[in-house]
Amino acid sequence: MNKSYIWKRLLRSLLSIMIIMLIVFTMIFTLVPRENIFFEDSTYRKLSSKSDDKTEYVYSTWEKLGYLDYVRINDYCQEIYGAGSPEMSTAVEPDSKDSQDFVELYTSKGYTVEKYLGNGRYYAYKDIPVIKRMGSWLAHLIVIDTPMSVKDEANPDLKRGISFGRTPSGGLAVIGSGTTYKYLLYTNSKFPWIHQNFIRMNFGVSYPTYQGLDVMRVLFQSQGDEAKRHVVYETGLEGESGINFGTLKYKPILDRMDTKKFPDHYADYEVYRNQPSMIGTSFRMGIIAMILAYSLGLPFGLLMARRKDKLADKLGMVYIIFIIAVPSLAYIYLFRYFGTMLFNLPSVFTTYGPSDARSWVLPVISLALPSIASLMLWTRRYVVDQMSADYVKFAKAKGLSQGEIFRTHIFKNAIIPIAQGIPASLAGCITGAIITESIYSVGGMGKMLPNAIKQYNNVMIIALAFMFSTVSVLSVLAGDIVLTKVDPRISLSEKAGRS
Amino acid sequence: MSENRNVVLSAKDVEVKFRVRDNYLTAIRGISLDLYEGETFAIVGESGSGKSVFTKTFTGMLESNGMISNGSVMFHGKDLTKLKTDKDWEGIRGAKISTIFQDPMTSLNPIRTIGSQITEVIEKHQGVSKAEAKKQAIEIMERVGIKNAADRFDEFPFQYSGGMRQRIVIAIALSCHPEILICDEPTTALDVTIQAQILQLIRDLQKELGFTTLYITHDLGVVANVADRVGVMYGGQIIEYGNVEEIFFEPCHPYTWALLSSLPQLGVKGQDLYYITGTPPSLYNKIKGDAFAPRNEHALKIDFVQEPPFFKVSDTHYAKTWLLDPRAPKLEKPEVIQNLHEKIKKMTDKGGAFHVE
Amino acid sequence: MDMENTNLFEFAEFDELESEHIAAPRYSYWKSVWRTFFKNKFTVAVAVLLLCIIAFAMIQPMLSGYSPIKTPNINNSHLKFLKPSAEHIFGTDHVGNEVFDAVWAGARNSIIVSFICTAINMLIGIPIGALWGFSKKMDRWMIEVYNVISNVPFLLLAMILSYVLGAGMRSLIITMTCTEWIFVAYFIRTQVMIIRDREYNLASKCLGTSTWTMIVKNILPYLISVIMTYVSREVPSLISYEVFLSYMGLGLGTTNASLGQSIAMYTSYMNGYPHLFWIPVSVLAIISISLYIVGQKLADAADPRTHM
Repeated sequence: MNKSYIWKRLLRSLLSIMIIMLIVFTMIFTLVPRENIFFEDSTYRKLSSKSDDKTEYVYSTWEKLGYLDYVRINDYCQEIYGAGSPEMSTAVEPDSKDSQDFVELYTSKGYTVEKYLGNGRYYAYKDIPVIKRMGSWLAHLIVIDTPMSVKDEANPDLKRGISFGRTPSGGLAVIGSGTTYKYLLYTNSKFPWIHQNFIRMNFGVSYPTYQGLDVMRVLFQSQGDEAKRHVVYETGLEGESGINFGTLKYKPILDRMDTKKFPDHYADYEVYRNQPSMIGTSFRMGIIAMILAYSLGLPFGLLMARRKDKLADKLGMVYIIFIIAVPSLAYIYLFRYFGTMLFNLPSVFTTYGPSDARSWVLPVISLALPSIASLMLWTRRYVVDQMSADYVKFAKAKGLSQGEIFRTHIFKNAIIPIAQGIPASLAGCITGAIITESIYSVGGMGKMLPNAIKQYNNVMIIALAFMFSTVSVLSVLAGDIVLTKVDPRISLSEKAGRS
Repeated sequence: MSENRNVVLSAKDVEVKFRVRDNYLTAIRGISLDLYEGETFAIVGESGSGKSVFTKTFTGMLESNGMISNGSVMFHGKDLTKLKTDKDWEGIRGAKISTIFQDPMTSLNPIRTIGSQITEVIEKHQGVSKAEAKKQAIEIMERVGIKNAADRFDEFPFQYSGGMRQRIVIAIALSCHPEILICDEPTTALDVTIQAQILQLIRDLQKELGFTTLYITHDLGVVANVADRVGVMYGGQIIEYGNVEEIFFEPCHPYTWALLSSLPQLGVKGQDLYYITGTPPSLYNKIKGDAFAPRNEHALKIDFVQEPPFFKVSDTHYAKTWLLDPRAPKLEKPEVIQNLHEKIKKMTDKGGAFHVE
Repeated sequence: MDMENTNLFEFAEFDELESEHIAAPRYSYWKSVWRTFFKNKFTVAVAVLLLCIIAFAMIQPMLSGYSPIKTPNINNSHLKFLKPSAEHIFGTDHVGNEVFDAVWAGARNSIIVSFICTAINMLIGIPIGALWGFSKKMDRWMIEVYNVISNVPFLLLAMILSYVLGAGMRSLIITMTCTEWIFVAYFIRTQVMIIRDREYNLASKCLGTSTWTMIVKNILPYLISVIMTYVSREVPSLISYEVFLSYMGLGLGTTNASLGQSIAMYTSYMNGYPHLFWIPVSVLAIISISLYIVGQKLADAADPRTHM
């Protein structure tokens, strides 16, 4: 396998991802009217229209979300005179000299200058070009935690450095001081057993739904009620909590409880909850469905090919046609109806929750149904194509039985294109299934993108678009690598024609 | 040739039909043939004469729309035409009767190692362990002329050249020491120098292992090179058979004359090459009389009316033509193939291999 | 015996032309296609059923004049949610309209939209895909274009388009074609690549045939069967897409009837009045299944290897 080829592909993949993100950015910030983001915002609705508070809210939100740069006369004057100084009150009035300077300055910079409707004071704003917006998103995308990360003016003597030790739950850890997170590297009993905090992805803060929460947290944080257990804090205090010690984060202002529990400023934390995260749920469901699909789809497809035009083949085709022709909405409802009638299984995921196996049965099978049909169809087609190959004729002349020929020759050849698709199937597990999850009320990834779009949660849309397209583009590359492993004839670096 | 050799396979009045688009095509119209132990028999004929189809009846490899409608093929007391399932053929196909095909490129599975494709045959037919099978496989790879066989055992077909692939195919076919080896145009897809090597290889192995070889070919050069006996096929029947010298130097059937006359090497500079006019007959319809009659300049009226029987020319030489009937006018074979002996002698090299000018 | 036989042993006249006579049965490609297709009674029955349904779907709404925004019975509570009966063949829905009318009006729009979209996708996708598969230079950059386009979140695109263009048939058609064509092109590209390097194409190239002629005369006929298979799945799949978009609130909009709209609308009444959901679903299923079967059988018939 040619190393330089893989690097070139990775680079090209990265470029493709960037182009996709650019398109997504453009679509969101240029094509979607920006007033729409407030449709779901309750704060906005509470503010009476045409009030200065509303204008302030609207523009500062837009600034927070990166649409524009927003400057108030107050900010301008504050720079000159300092906060709280006596000259401020006159300077900010629209008729003052400072205001005139403000207008001149910002108009010359290309800003639009306007007056608040209520008090008549000035403010200015300017759209940020899409490229610049995307650039700053990229710049903040990856955050590396160092002992210099924390900048707390109230704590100038903060010790900065790295040491080794253990977490209160007993795992080995690399401990940082002055870093945003206390445990840069730590172990515990939960998958994937080694965790790190020193490189993080920062997608921003969700708005308007899940307001204020970091996007990564929304998607990766476990859901449900806090899973409390008996814990012993570093200070010796004991209690019942779901605290995940590995997530200890720097908190500038400590309250009484914090000082009781923690010896230092690292008092912010996440808790274990009893339900898996959205990504976790969707991924689990997807993987099980995928395994089910491959273990049923491949053998059935093979069977259909071997018994071509006989009963098994015809029955298989009936199933495939049904799944292809009927919208998934319909057959999932139908399947659920029979499942609940015949086997007394719960009709929604939430009846027994994720910890009960019964909740998973119907959704997982529903998810697998279309994949099984697709695998059956394609396996059958590839096997039938192989059946007329010359080497099959020769294998028969060698004296091999039909069964042996199918197992050791045909299947191996037919499986090649199917193997190429496995990484893509895996990738699909992450995106979740919109319809299945909505019918069974599963708290997974499936609804995140549609909801984010409906709620104009730009930050979330961008984060999801990035994650999905990265996974997807990389899975194409992974599929091609799988292809070279399975088919010895294929060498990706020599793409010029066949011999 | 000794007359007391054993008959290893005996085909009698074999008839094969195919169902095509609601019509029936009779590809083989009654062939009887005895194969002797240790000999090399060549079946010669044009494309579409039915050569491959006939030999497929020996291994049960007829296409799904084909059927043996009459006749028997006796092999070790069993009638091969009665065998239907894979299980019936176990121990015969690939083990006692092996086939090698024309195109070595596609005969091998491209994604499996060469070695595994040899050992699977050995393991299947001899029931030995993997290690033992590998040993035998490497042995036979060396036998057929693959250097560094042990290293090349795990390579893939695309890493071998065409000639080497055909050697592997031969190795596979011979790995279980069959009694009959059917070679269906084994050298047509190879270039001339490799052709000679492959033919030599098969000849050497035959001497060593003692199997019977059945060649199917349209190339008279190959026939002259390897065959002991020859059968000429036309329109689904063998119309003349005999020792190779008898066929080349004393042919009796007008079709054999025409085939020999068509050898481009016999062409004289400045004159047109000889060719047989017309096309082979359609086998959808029942053929009345001699199948070759419409294309035969020497046809008798009876050739269009009644099928000729086999006439004996010698103990080993028979031909199915009315010209051998005592009532028929005497006819000399065409000028161009007289003194074929001389002409061929001039064209073979010192090694006795017949080569293209 | 002697007169006859002596005559028979004379030389016959040699007619060169007689020997050239080819007696194999005649073969006409398209005739064989139709023969193979019509041989199967089941397929013919399904095809007839399909034609009837399509005809009915086109005509009935013109007679009933149904529109989802026309709700004359909205205040007659006794006319709402009626079960299917002799008077109301498919029952009535939540605004008192005949489900029968709603379903056929919806079927009409769904069929029209999916046929048009399939046609557009094919008209754009096939030539581009054929050229793409043929030209190695084009393949290099087209693959990246494919990567980009296929990864833009479809839902996002659909929402944007519904803003920019408003809801309605035109915007739905644009939504379902603007990215779908590249999947068609990719599929065609793969098929073309498989046969591009076959000998008969190399021979054509040697003889100086232009790229375009080679694509049209050498490659496309081979693809007929493959294209028909694709179409037979594309049409039902587009109808499914439309259902999905309507479920997401992005389909034809509430002013137009469509099966997707009906299904999405009636999903909420599943528990109380299941007939509202299952009837449009069944009609949709019958249409899709028939389309698929007919298309698939046509594709099989178009493959010369089945003309045995």
